[in-house]
Amino acid sequence: MADFREQPKLEAAILALKAAGIDAEDLDVFSEEPVEFRRGILDRPSRMSLVAVVGAIVTGGLATAGVYAAQHNYSLPTGGMPIFSFWGTGVITYETTMLGSVLSTFGWFLWESGLLRKRDKNVPIPTVLPGVMCLRVHCSDPLIPRVRQILDGAGATGVARKEVA
Amino acid sequence: MATSAPELLPYAKIREDLFRPLSNGSARYWITIAAAMSVIVLGLVAWGIQVRDGMGVTGLNRPVFWGFYIVDFVFWIGISHAGTLISAILRLTDAAWRKPVTRAAEAITVFCLMIGGMFPIIHLGRSWLFYWLIPYPNPRLLWPNFRSPLLWDLVAILTYVTGSVIYLYLPLIPDMAQLAQHNVPWRRKLYRILSLGWTGSDREWHALERAMKLMACIILAVAISVHTVVSWDFAMSIAPMWHSTIFGPYFVVGAIFSGIAALLLVMGTLRRALGLELYLTKHHFNNLSKLLLLMSLLWFYFTFAEYQTVWYGNEPSEMAVFASKIRGPYAPFFWTMVFCNFVVPFILLGIRKLRTITTAMVASVCVLIGMWLERYLIVAPTLGNPRMTSASGVYLPTWIEFAITAATFAGMLVLYLLFSKLFPIIAVWEFKAHPVEED
Repeated sequence: MADFREQPKLEAAILALKAAGIDAEDLDVFSEEPVEFRRGILDRPSRMSLVAVVGAIVTGGLATAGVYAAQHNYSLPTGGMPIFSFWGTGVITYETTMLGSVLSTFGWFLWESGLLRKRDKNVPIPTVLPGVMCLRVHCSDPLIPRVRQILDGAGATGVARKEVA
Repeated sequence: MATSAPELLPYAKIREDLFRPLSNGSARYWITIAAAMSVIVLGLVAWGIQVRDGMGVTGLNRPVFWGFYIVDFVFWIGISHAGTLISAILRLTDAAWRKPVTRAAEAITVFCLMIGGMFPIIHLGRSWLFYWLIPYPNPRLLWPNFRSPLLWDLVAILTYVTGSVIYLYLPLIPDMAQLAQHNVPWRRKLYRILSLGWTGSDREWHALERAMKLMACIILAVAISVHTVVSWDFAMSIAPMWHSTIFGPYFVVGAIFSGIAALLLVMGTLRRALGLELYLTKHHFNNLSKLLLLMSLLWFYFTFAEYQTVWYGNEPSEMAVFASKIRGPYAPFFWTMVFCNFVVPFILLGIRKLRTITTAMVASVCVLIGMWLERYLIVAPTLGNPRMTSASGVYLPTWIEFAITAATFAGMLVLYLLFSKLFPIIAVWEFKAHPVEED
């Protein structure tokens, strides 16, 4: 764990750690407000947009199929007129498409942020002070001296080793 | 312009100022809650009488079967657009000045939808049968009419409520995570559960910001569709002065107009009641006032276009409705509406020297009155003057409708007061995210 007060120093540390062979997945930055990094520093690829579109198509499609099935399930004499009409059910299709998009976005947010997944409770979570960015590096024992050297060199304060219980 | 730059305040002060209102309720707070609750009880009594004795206790009768309840429904759904416009549009355009006002707007959206969504159920009369709206298989072989705009309403509002609740909840998570460390035991437990174990890691922030941007896009499309669908409740019938192609955008414009007015009113009240003068500055009121003025002009343009087309067409059944509004029994309401929605905002907000926080609030109250009257003037005169002139009639609401309508306003007040005691009304993490306030 290491605290940073200035973002450029934190970015330099992250780049140096990555160059030393630490995977981006083993790095976490904790802060009380969002920290925006330049592209290439600590990218977190996301499939949220894709999930939102897929969720929308699936829910909208299912709802339209449901409407079709429900309308054909009732014996209604229409004198040859079509029972199901895309014009008539267009609003329902649209709204359920949007509902699917909303729900899949929310669901994926919970998954991608890690809030929904089972967490390893043994991994320490730092208490972050206002204005401070805390970098957590997950690494094996042989790498610890090198990581500490990089963090100290980048201007981190309060560098501390915490064991995974 | 802003008298100070709140983002430059020390973080500890920002946090203290924005979390302080959550701690204790003053005597004035509880008296207001009690007064509002008594109005709600009166409304519940009125609704109880209506359920017991039937719809005959209301002023609804042939030919005016839609009265206050549908007016209230359209009015509240309209105001719900405050959250959409202020939060979603301004978030997408990355306007920094939106930060202190977004949560207030998002909360308005959720509460207005909750209140507005009740009216179709109240209007049913036999409210306990509301589930007949839902197209489920049943042994009575009732054909679910998916072509009915009322069913469209149900689906649209359900989508909007779901989206709005999530849109309000998402940016609350980081604030609740902070509150989970600082409050009384039951609150600590509540915030801990609701914050879902938020730790503030970059993965969480990244996912939150991405989700908020996506949700802003989605909710915007939903909001516009919802009020368009509400307008289609009217426009899809061939009734005079309802069957209009511009009803969709006309309703959306009116909805955003009343939404901004509601937001200004709420912000002005909160600013004073919670001592948030440093956070809700003249700058915010000035920007929102300009938006309100813009929407006033747009509303006037749409109204003029609608009435001008009817007048030029000179179709007898349409002219009967037109005349009843312009110089008939509804004329006092019509001209009050024009005065409240156009004249007052145009003078108070259009003249720069007159544009202050107080005048913005006065204009907002006028706009809310005017927009309620506008909804009333859409519903009652058309139904009172059907194409078959011998079936004409007048709508005279009874105390039941007045009591239920008043109860919903009191309900809105109570919901908002409770919300402001449970959650910070300004997003703390968003507020300090950018160091410089944008002009």
